[in-house]
Amino acid sequence: MKIAVLLSAGRHSVSGRPAPVPVELQALRLAVDLAAQCGGQSGGDVTGLHAGPELGPLTDALGHGLAHLIHLRGEGTADPAPALATALAAGGYDLILAGRAGQGGWDAGLLPYTLARALGLPIIADAAGLAPGEAPGTLGVEQALARGARRRLVVRLPALVTVHSAAPAPLPFAFAGMRRGRVETREAPPAPAPAPDVEERAYRPRPKLIAKAATGASALERLRAATEAASGGGRLLVDPAPEEAAREILAHLRALGLPAGR
Amino acid sequence: MTDLAFLLSLTVLAMVLLAGALAMRRAGLWRIGRAAKVDWTAGLIALPKRYLVDVHHVVGRDRYAARMHALAAGGLLAGSGLALLGLIPALGDIRLFWWLTALAFAAAFAGGAMVGRRRLPVKPARLSGGRFQILPLLLAAYSGGGFLVALDASLGGALWPLGLLGLALAAVGGLGLAWQIDRGPMRHAFAGAAHLVAHPRPGRFNGERATALAALDLDAPRLGVALPEDFAFNRLIGFDACIQCGRCEVACPAFAAGQPLNPKRLIQDLAASLQPGATNAAYAGSPYPNARPVAGVGGPGLPIVGAGAMIHPDTLWSCTTCRACVEECPMMIEHVDAILDLRRFQTLELGAVPARAAAPLMELRYADEPGGRPLTSRTDFAAGLTLPLIAAKGEAEVLLWLGEGAYELRYGRTLRALVTLLHKAKVDFAVLGEEERDCGDLARRLGDEASFQRLARANIDTLSRYRFARILTADPHALHALRNEYRDFGGAYEVVHHTAFLDELAAAGRLAFGALDEARVTYHDPCYLGRYNGEVEAPRRLLDRLGIARLEMERSGKRSMCCGGGGGAPVSDIEGERRIPDIRMAQASATGAGIVAVACPQCSAMLEGVTGERPAVHDIAELVLMAVEKAGPTPARSAQVPA
Repeated sequence: MKIAVLLSAGRHSVSGRPAPVPVELQALRLAVDLAAQCGGQSGGDVTGLHAGPELGPLTDALGHGLAHLIHLRGEGTADPAPALATALAAGGYDLILAGRAGQGGWDAGLLPYTLARALGLPIIADAAGLAPGEAPGTLGVEQALARGARRRLVVRLPALVTVHSAAPAPLPFAFAGMRRGRVETREAPPAPAPAPDVEERAYRPRPKLIAKAATGASALERLRAATEAASGGGRLLVDPAPEEAAREILAHLRALGLPAGR
Repeated sequence: MTDLAFLLSLTVLAMVLLAGALAMRRAGLWRIGRAAKVDWTAGLIALPKRYLVDVHHVVGRDRYAARMHALAAGGLLAGSGLALLGLIPALGDIRLFWWLTALAFAAAFAGGAMVGRRRLPVKPARLSGGRFQILPLLLAAYSGGGFLVALDASLGGALWPLGLLGLALAAVGGLGLAWQIDRGPMRHAFAGAAHLVAHPRPGRFNGERATALAALDLDAPRLGVALPEDFAFNRLIGFDACIQCGRCEVACPAFAAGQPLNPKRLIQDLAASLQPGATNAAYAGSPYPNARPVAGVGGPGLPIVGAGAMIHPDTLWSCTTCRACVEECPMMIEHVDAILDLRRFQTLELGAVPARAAAPLMELRYADEPGGRPLTSRTDFAAGLTLPLIAAKGEAEVLLWLGEGAYELRYGRTLRALVTLLHKAKVDFAVLGEEERDCGDLARRLGDEASFQRLARANIDTLSRYRFARILTADPHALHALRNEYRDFGGAYEVVHHTAFLDELAAAGRLAFGALDEARVTYHDPCYLGRYNGEVEAPRRLLDRLGIARLEMERSGKRSMCCGGGGGAPVSDIEGERRIPDIRMAQASATGAGIVAVACPQCSAMLEGVTGERPAVHDIAELVLMAVEKAGPTPARSAQVPA
């Protein structure tokens, strides 16, 4: 299985220094694990791709289990999508993985969708786990949903999958792996700056979202209304007995389909 | 000279030849190691002093063992040497000469008896069994037999039936001892001598602490140690020097906590790995507590660490790098260096750090701080205090290095006390503020030498831009890195720990103390201050100035026990039966003290984490501030409180 992992030029969320994006390193881990699982059948092969003016600390991805990194060098302002789409189409990848959003750039999370449209591939969002499908040419995806829920999907390859931060942690960094890894630089054809398909609107103060029914009621009722609105259902227990609270939590977890108890 | 005496001399000659051949074979195995720079001449000249002074200093902590060893080894060498000289006819014909020989063998016999009494009928847990258990018998047979033959010779053959019996005993015992030279207990005799000559840290014999880790060449083809031949040859000699006395396992905090580390077993596994087709089956000492299963096979060209090899990775990550084993080792073996070399390979080549240690190392790479916290908030603990920035002043007499503890709420109180004291003593000081990066200690101990070197170079670069006379820090880990380990990268600084600095201020009369009517106090030595840097006096002197009764724990000073916070152990978090800080706190409670005085952010965090009834934990700086506030008129702080 040929897998491509898209790597973007990120910044550390606190220091602001150039850094790989954690969720993309998680995607890399999923790719490496998947390639290892497929190793018996057709041989796994993971390639990293970055389009941009320079790699910077993205070479660190080589220390996180990546063996081969392709750098599509282009102007800093150029739209990376055309260069990536060309390289991905030419590479013949079975699976393309991306983070659900970058970190420190536009962070819009739109690039995977742009690429999927350009390549004519199905896109699955927010994978937390990947496994080879039972039928050849398919992939099992565990999709992360809101509030810890999971959904299992089977996708026919090739496909583009974005990875959620609920996926397993990145493989630990190995300095020598970075030394060993291979970087291939290709010149990307000049491309215009990205023209995001967005419209600008004037700022509008957002209305307060406290439920109308609760206005004027007691503080407890307002709290209940607010939290119930935010959590979309569920029960609010105020100062319950510990046993009762534990029972409620377990029942809730079971309702979500999560195994309760070890 | 009697015929029997002549035969005894020939027996000794045979022993020497056999031992020599076996020793050469073993020494041939050392040659697989990497080259290392060794000053052979200086080492050989220094050998008697290293043996008689430095080794004896450690052995002598156990007086029984010291006497036992002096008699057994001294008698054995003297008796055998004399018996060998007896081959010279001019000497062999003197009866007095054989008297002397008999005396030497008698001493060896007494030593052998002491070896036996220590092991029989019940062997202490720290001593190894197996080949070691028959050692007293061999010693007794050889020295007793030698004594009888020499006695007979001194009397001109009057006791020949006894002499004949003696010769038989001496031959069996002597050849048995010689046969043990390459794998048995006697290996330590020649490997130990070679180890003392070619010791990887010769500074230890010249009064230096010599505890800094050696820098790793990051361009080397293989980083760290994977195979036995990746160790330098003089490290391999060191492993063979082990006599399995078990003093290290008694001192090891991870062993005490039931984590899968036993320094003695570790060294034995490493020594066993030298032998082609090696297994760990011959080992007969205490195991790794709660040992994780391993195949127990190895040899040159085979990996040392792994479930299919000799040593399980959990064993490596259990180590707190406290150096207690090194401090206790009479053969001066460097256990911690070996563990670090093995960790470096795991981290740098395989990326096989413990799961929870990966995140702090990643934050260090991109945020220069293991918690991923902003460098600007390092000084948040000092809200409301004046904390001069060196960037604003350009120079200061004392640069205060805050360290990682500054981010922690509990330790922030200690640093607040220290800053307040500096103001009260009118010290010209400043901090780096957001320019201070992590010192790299955590990265280095976890084997991430690449991150350590990057941080060291970055910090040295920052420090080179400012002028200061000394660096003051409350963190012994930072102190050790800045004082000893930055030297390899071009950073030489005078670094002073806050306990020594406050003691200086007090001695100069710049701080006045009132009497503290606190409970009695016991001082817990941080490993990186006491053992690594030899500073055990200043903190005690300072405590004594405060007028609190000071009690000593069962283990203190350079032989103190670790709190469990070093070497990245808190982030590696290898499961054991007990927690190391609980064990240490129990020792503190046993003194009857009401306060444990600490001098390190790690110790403070680990000991504060102990639950239940226990003494209070205070950094020495906090106690000093209490005493100063008692002395002064009204403390400035209370004046600021609005009415």
